[in-house]
Amino acid sequence: MLLELKNIYKWVNSGSRRIFLLKDINLEVKEGEFMSIMGPSGSGKSTLLNVIGMLDHFNEGTYNFLNEPVHELKEKHRANLYKEYIGFVFQAYHLIDELTVYENIETPLLYKNVKSSERKALVADMLDRFNIVGKKDLFPQQLSGGQQQLVGIARALISKPKLILADEPTGNLNSKQSEEIMELFKDLNNEGVTIIQATHSEMNASYGSRTIHLLDGMRNRTN
Amino acid sequence: MNDSITFKKRTIMIRNYFKIALRNLLHNKGYTAIKILGLAVGIMCCILIMLFVSSEWSFDKFHSNADRIYRVWQDEKYEDQNFVNTITPIIMGPTLEANIPEVEGMCRILRVNPTVTYTQKDFTDQALMVDTTFFKLFDFKLLEGNRANPFPQINTVILSKTTAKKYFGNASALGKNLEMQLGNEKEQFIVTGIIEDAPEPSSIQYNMLISYANVGKLFSEGLQKSWFNVFGETYVMLREGILPEQLYPKFPDMMKQALGENYEPGGFEVYLQPITEIHLDNNLPQGLQPISNPKYSYILATIGILILLVACANFVILAIGHSSSRAREVGVRKVMGAERHQLIYQFMGEAFIVTCASMILGIGFSLALLKPFNSIINRELAFPLNISFVIFCLLLVLIIAFISGFYPAIFLSKFNPVVVLKGKLSSKKGSGFLRQGLVIGQFAASIAMIICTIVIGQQIDYFKNKDLGYNKEQIIVVSTNLNRIEGAVLAERYRTELLKHPEVSEATVSLYSFAESPWITLGFTNEMKAYRSFQYNSVDANFIEAMDIEVKEGRAFNEQITSDVTNAAVVNEAFVELFGLKDPIGKKLPGPFQQEIIGVVKDFNFQSLHTPVSPLLMTMKPDSVFRKTENIGMAFAPQPRISVRMEAGGLSNNIKVLEEAWKQVAPNQDFVNTFLDASIEAQYKAEARTSTIVKIASGLSIFIATMGLFGLVTLILSRRKKEIGIRKVLGAKVISIIKLISMDFALLILIASIIAFPLAWWFMNDWLQEFAYKVDIKWWVFVLASVAAIVIALITISVQTVKTALSNPVNSLRTE
Repeated sequence: MLLELKNIYKWVNSGSRRIFLLKDINLEVKEGEFMSIMGPSGSGKSTLLNVIGMLDHFNEGTYNFLNEPVHELKEKHRANLYKEYIGFVFQAYHLIDELTVYENIETPLLYKNVKSSERKALVADMLDRFNIVGKKDLFPQQLSGGQQQLVGIARALISKPKLILADEPTGNLNSKQSEEIMELFKDLNNEGVTIIQATHSEMNASYGSRTIHLLDGMRNRTN
Repeated sequence: MNDSITFKKRTIMIRNYFKIALRNLLHNKGYTAIKILGLAVGIMCCILIMLFVSSEWSFDKFHSNADRIYRVWQDEKYEDQNFVNTITPIIMGPTLEANIPEVEGMCRILRVNPTVTYTQKDFTDQALMVDTTFFKLFDFKLLEGNRANPFPQINTVILSKTTAKKYFGNASALGKNLEMQLGNEKEQFIVTGIIEDAPEPSSIQYNMLISYANVGKLFSEGLQKSWFNVFGETYVMLREGILPEQLYPKFPDMMKQALGENYEPGGFEVYLQPITEIHLDNNLPQGLQPISNPKYSYILATIGILILLVACANFVILAIGHSSSRAREVGVRKVMGAERHQLIYQFMGEAFIVTCASMILGIGFSLALLKPFNSIINRELAFPLNISFVIFCLLLVLIIAFISGFYPAIFLSKFNPVVVLKGKLSSKKGSGFLRQGLVIGQFAASIAMIICTIVIGQQIDYFKNKDLGYNKEQIIVVSTNLNRIEGAVLAERYRTELLKHPEVSEATVSLYSFAESPWITLGFTNEMKAYRSFQYNSVDANFIEAMDIEVKEGRAFNEQITSDVTNAAVVNEAFVELFGLKDPIGKKLPGPFQQEIIGVVKDFNFQSLHTPVSPLLMTMKPDSVFRKTENIGMAFAPQPRISVRMEAGGLSNNIKVLEEAWKQVAPNQDFVNTFLDASIEAQYKAEARTSTIVKIASGLSIFIATMGLFGLVTLILSRRKKEIGIRKVLGAKVISIIKLISMDFALLILIASIIAFPLAWWFMNDWLQEFAYKVDIKWWVFVLASVAAIVIALITISVQTVKTALSNPVNSLRTE
């Protein structure tokens, strides 16, 4: 079991009213799964991804990640956990504008204190694998959206995570680019990387092995 | 092993931060330029002012024995009054040396004005008469000559490098003769040494040195032994480890012995002042060299720090204002595993780079502006290329980088990635307060400085325009450069000659002229044993009339009445008040004087406006007055002067007339003249200097603050572009949009004004206490300053806002 959410609640207080962002979420994800979270805007897809990615807190419930009780962990420990095992891919790519393609991919390794020679090798592998060696010295603005998202995925993969969390990864791309990216996810999944994506698109969801539906912060129906 | 790895990792990280910082800075050239320029200007002010202040504080520290050298000062008490002086009797030094074994050496310094004959003309030069121990106590560099025996004979002189060059050109002066007149006759002096010019921060300044053995040529045996006539400074060097306080208990016995029957316990106290404190201690009267008011150092240092803080505030305001564009980066980095402290390092690093760049630019600015700065402060400051200056600069960089980088780093590194990556960054309330606070601070400082500029300017105008009680217009003062007996004869001849010329409207002879305060101080003990002192000048019969001084009672001197020459006295109102005289006309002068008061003049400001008008006595001949006086104080040698009022006309022609007339009566003597209005202005040099500096400082401060405001408005506009677009679509006019943006700032500046007002008032009120005659601080000055700030700010805001407001809303709305 990679992760297990039990009775997760998350809310914000607005005046005297309590608005639930997540309501009684129960979820198990095994290693090697490719899961899609679907639901309309505001249904809590991103929030759920952020909770799974440990970027966001929840108010109630238990969350075990690789048998570690995340809800009981200290901030620092939790950060170490997601740094080690989780990679993020965003709809808006979120590359750092001032860094080149090479440097963007390298950055997570810097924060993990990986040695220079090892870093070079890892980044070179990644550039090679995604066929972007020729673009390594370009800045994000000089790339197309699809290429930027490719760099975003390369960056997420560089630290060899067990889990990739992708929030609408193709939301800013045209259909051809989308398809390429989804194919890439599928390949990665075949190599053993667990993937959870949030998406609007049935088409994208179909690449996954399982889909859950959210509505107003609650599991709606399960396939 | 582990350490070296961490070190390597650190350097990698640092390199990475550096790279990112540099790219970030280049990417936002405008803001970077504003930040760097603002800080550079702040640093420039800081460096220049530091140079000045450190030179002020380093006075006399270059003597290797500076910690053991003291200047003697005395405190004489008469009844209810204290007379503190740093000019001491001639006998003071030898007495100390003879009675106090802890005194290792003593050196007296007397300033004299010998007449030097050179190329058959007479010049008055300035010389110090010093004891042979001069080079034992002080570190002045003797370039040629013998330090141990500087004056092998009485008639020897040591010239400063500059003076040697003046009289002998590039030829060697050593061993040559120089004809000089100290006392009554001309003598040959042999040059036995050449001394380096005194360094600027020295309380002892000289053109030439003459042996103290010559003192007999100027002062009688009686004066040399007198304890109640003061003539020069006395320096002593104490043995190692001796503090002056240890010696003070011994002084009363010494004085008892010295004064004999004149001794009264506590009546004549002697103290020692460390030589290094002379320059900035204005509790004691100045000696031979002018001292500085330490207040001016503090004012300057405050201004320097204020400008620097304004620049730092700029940095913080812009960094935080710019945070929205950095927020996403912070979010991404955090998601990719950056820890907060790593991000803090990164942003601090950026601040550090900006500060370093500013420092380099700031040093460049200060190098370029050192010369004009020197001319403002009337100094010859040089750029010190020593280790302490380097340390100062490095420290400054660290401090500035910390002040300006710390808060933005904390602020930026705090962003929650979930929030900022969604692009939902709302400007947090807290940061808004801080930013507004900083803008308020900047403008408060600027407004306060503007107020000070105006008030100081008004005070200086007041100095220039106040009715002094005499007519200072069109007056040129010619000095005879001779002692009072010879000078009086020459002056009278010159006056007679002058009156033949139609260009001359009045000419009058006096011992001192105006702007030569405080004239002569006379003092005596009255029958009630109370000490009374007042000022004195010896004037000719038409002085009062020629100077348009108003006679209140009685009459002025009259040439036709011969008894006036010796028996008549004219006093001022303050004199009448001091002695409580009723119906003074026709009465004998109080005290030992025999003259009869024939007239009372209205108080006129013969001294500078720093002091109220002192009691004043004027007679035509000084001799009998001097003879009857216990105590005579003169700031510099009395030499008869002719004050000439010219008819309005060409300046150069006027001078030519005076010079030609001078050549008629004194063909062998230098023609020395001064313009009275220039001399009067020179009395307020320190104030004029402060005024210039405050003027420039307030200009710079408002400049930096405006730059910051410009940057801030740009940022705010870019963030509110969409809002402005929507408002325009809904029908808003350009003017209403300008109002929308500028109202907030106008409010901030109003708050800044409220903070600035009491501060500026307090500062200026304190400063004005220095003057006996001063302007009132007017309310409209405050209004003017804050209106000026608001106008400048509104112009800045409008220029930027109009651009945005005029742009097509479609463009700004489409980007979403």
